[in-house]
Amino acid sequence: MSEHPPSMNSRERVLAALNRQPVDRTPLCNPTSVATVELMDLVDAPFPDANRKPELMARLAATGYTELGFDTIMPVFSIIQESAALGCKIQWEQKDNWPTVRMNEPIWTSPDDINVPADLCTHPDTRCVTDAIKILRKEYGDEVAVIGKTMGPWSLGYHCFGVEPFLLMSLDDPGKTKLCLDRMKEITVEYGLAQIEAGADALTLPDHATGDLVSGEYYERYLRDLHIEMAERLPVPIILHICGRTVDRMEYIAQTGMAAFHFDSKNTPMESMEIVKERIALVGNINNPETLFSKGPEVVREEVYRNLDAGVQLVGPECAIPLQTSIENLKEIPRAVRDWHAGYDR
Amino acid sequence: MALTCDIGTRIELVPMDSHCNDITVALYKQPPSDAPVYRIHTYSQHPDAQERIGSLSADMQVLGGMQQADDGLLRFPCGHAHQYAARRLFLDACKRDPSETAQAHPLQIHDKKSACDIAVDSLGDGQYCVRAEQGTQGVERRTATIARGLIRLGEMEGADDDANRLHFACGHAHDALIALLLRRAPNVRAAMREAEEMASRGQLVAPSAQN
Amino acid sequence: MAEIGDIANEFIRDEIDEFLEKENERNHIVELFAQTRPLLQDIAAALIDGAHEEVDQLTQQALSEGIEALEIMDDGLIAGMGIVGIKFRDNFIFVPEVLACARAMKAGMAHIEPILSDSGVEPIGTVVMGTVKGDLHDIGKNLCIMMLRGAGFVVHDLGVDTSEDEFIEAIEEHGAKLLGMSALLTTTMPNMGKTIEAFIDEDLRDDIKIMVGGAPVTPEFAEDMGADGYGKDALSCVELAKELLSE
Repeated sequence: MSEHPPSMNSRERVLAALNRQPVDRTPLCNPTSVATVELMDLVDAPFPDANRKPELMARLAATGYTELGFDTIMPVFSIIQESAALGCKIQWEQKDNWPTVRMNEPIWTSPDDINVPADLCTHPDTRCVTDAIKILRKEYGDEVAVIGKTMGPWSLGYHCFGVEPFLLMSLDDPGKTKLCLDRMKEITVEYGLAQIEAGADALTLPDHATGDLVSGEYYERYLRDLHIEMAERLPVPIILHICGRTVDRMEYIAQTGMAAFHFDSKNTPMESMEIVKERIALVGNINNPETLFSKGPEVVREEVYRNLDAGVQLVGPECAIPLQTSIENLKEIPRAVRDWHAGYDR
Repeated sequence: MALTCDIGTRIELVPMDSHCNDITVALYKQPPSDAPVYRIHTYSQHPDAQERIGSLSADMQVLGGMQQADDGLLRFPCGHAHQYAARRLFLDACKRDPSETAQAHPLQIHDKKSACDIAVDSLGDGQYCVRAEQGTQGVERRTATIARGLIRLGEMEGADDDANRLHFACGHAHDALIALLLRRAPNVRAAMREAEEMASRGQLVAPSAQN
Repeated sequence: MAEIGDIANEFIRDEIDEFLEKENERNHIVELFAQTRPLLQDIAAALIDGAHEEVDQLTQQALSEGIEALEIMDDGLIAGMGIVGIKFRDNFIFVPEVLACARAMKAGMAHIEPILSDSGVEPIGTVVMGTVKGDLHDIGKNLCIMMLRGAGFVVHDLGVDTSEDEFIEAIEEHGAKLLGMSALLTTTMPNMGKTIEAFIDEDLRDDIKIMVGGAPVTPEFAEDMGADGYGKDALSCVELAKELLSE
């Protein structure tokens, strides 16, 4: 890392890192949820209400900054907002589980079904997010980075067409699939712009063309150019999020012009940094199900160090953390980053 | 100013306590490591939350033989951790109906598989022996399997020369805890797999003799 | 010992050469196909290629030529899915291709199943599968089901968001000896343990074997929950099912 600038606040630090500029220390970044059931109790903002009421959403999201010590607040815990506005059926669940789209009850079967409703950004569930962002901006001013989230067209395809029909379509009729993606991308852009207008400093863009489901060649064929376009049309740093093993598509991801890629623990920090070669910042990649959920702070620390040693620009969990993650494991992440910078235990 | 506190290592979590307004309750282990204590904790500010914590604490004392330490904390009388068993005890305490009075379980169960009553004799100094009340066919394998299940659940040690004997390394009796774990011991899959493997080799060897 | 040149279908020979890297698997598959009728090799080839209409047509042709339904299933459809499973495991193909192959298998089985059902042929095993309560993800489960059916198991799919009672009812209704549970979220994983405890409480635990899987599930978690086995992917699920049912 080049010479450290003078002390920065959280927002400055995150934006500098997303722009691959010098920072005073590596920022702690959560492009995805860090809500837990214990934090829900702490601020009396349980799921599912915290996904549907802006005051609760903002209050719960802020704990990532006020309690855990991260440099970001990201209030969109789940991935259902746009799909709810489009008409998908949502299973809201209870405090201890995520709301999810009933993908077995798809709402579309062909490109002609795709429709961006007039109330996309004013539907109660999408508006909840923009209102929460406004609350957070008002409460915290410019001291912390507020990150919004807008779902990419591949993920919207899963939600609205159903996973298996969408994947079969991608094989049976690539032309039709591309048309669908091109139309759905407008949803991503419109909702992203609404959150920027509300005050978001950056946007997470999850688009689940994961290596667990599709090949790297699929990413290049179907998504790379769309992502390039979205990076151009959305005037804030974009953090692309794709779960799973993605080294075979990181070269294409690095070509998109997006600010950062939020990468999964199935890819090592070192191999990932070698592929992207500073064309895009990396965010991640502390393992959720095994490390944060099941192991202790010492293992969390090891993973933080592994990322920092490889030069990963922003450190955080690999994906939305399990709701039962312990607070001590989460607090270990900022502790470990600070200790690493202080030259501790290296 | 942060509201969360450093209260030790979280051992177990119940995300939604159905007996108390779905508050989240957790069991934390606190130092020192050679004489650990446990804290039952919730971050909920619900009016009934603290009463529920008190009630769970009382239940863990009755069901598992824990005792109250300073400041509402809990410990085993021997001063040792027995962490795996403490987790199980906490979960069972959370699960039970609080409107019923907590009572320690008896040191006996009816085992459906052998159609037999299985008892555990407390021999003192933390030593126990699993015994069948009736001599039905195959019951020796069953008592050995249950003993193995208790060993796993209680982090205990077996005897070299007797598949039915087991003991706590701390050398102290924990009858209530054994009685609680006995309910689960017949279904510990690892213990059952070991029993099947040994039966297929035609030998019944004490757990500590295996690698 | 058979050689690859003994296999009539060129596509199958090419598939073996290109994708089967483990010697024991390669030898087994070569042996299998070398003894298979050419028409059934063609069915397998069409299945591997995801050509469901061709599988449909060739299966009907095979039946009309008097080939036994069981032989068509074993040597055509299941044999083809065997190669698909290996290619998927080794990342030569991904989920879209597997879905296409499963669609082809289904097209063939549409003609085979009624015949086998009428003749009372026993499947190699009966499995109940479901994603646990609170979890709506099913692609992993569905891939396992495709592989299990592709291997000759009868699978009763309970879908997603399956409660403990629904699992118990299905096991009792179908007389299944094997239960498979899937979870994709760490929040829903504990429901596997709850389901297993429900079987214990109903005194049914000893009557069945239980396997679990899903992205966040680990072997340690599976053991802790009281499962009998952990399947790390769709292909290993088939081997695990065979192993558990043989115990």
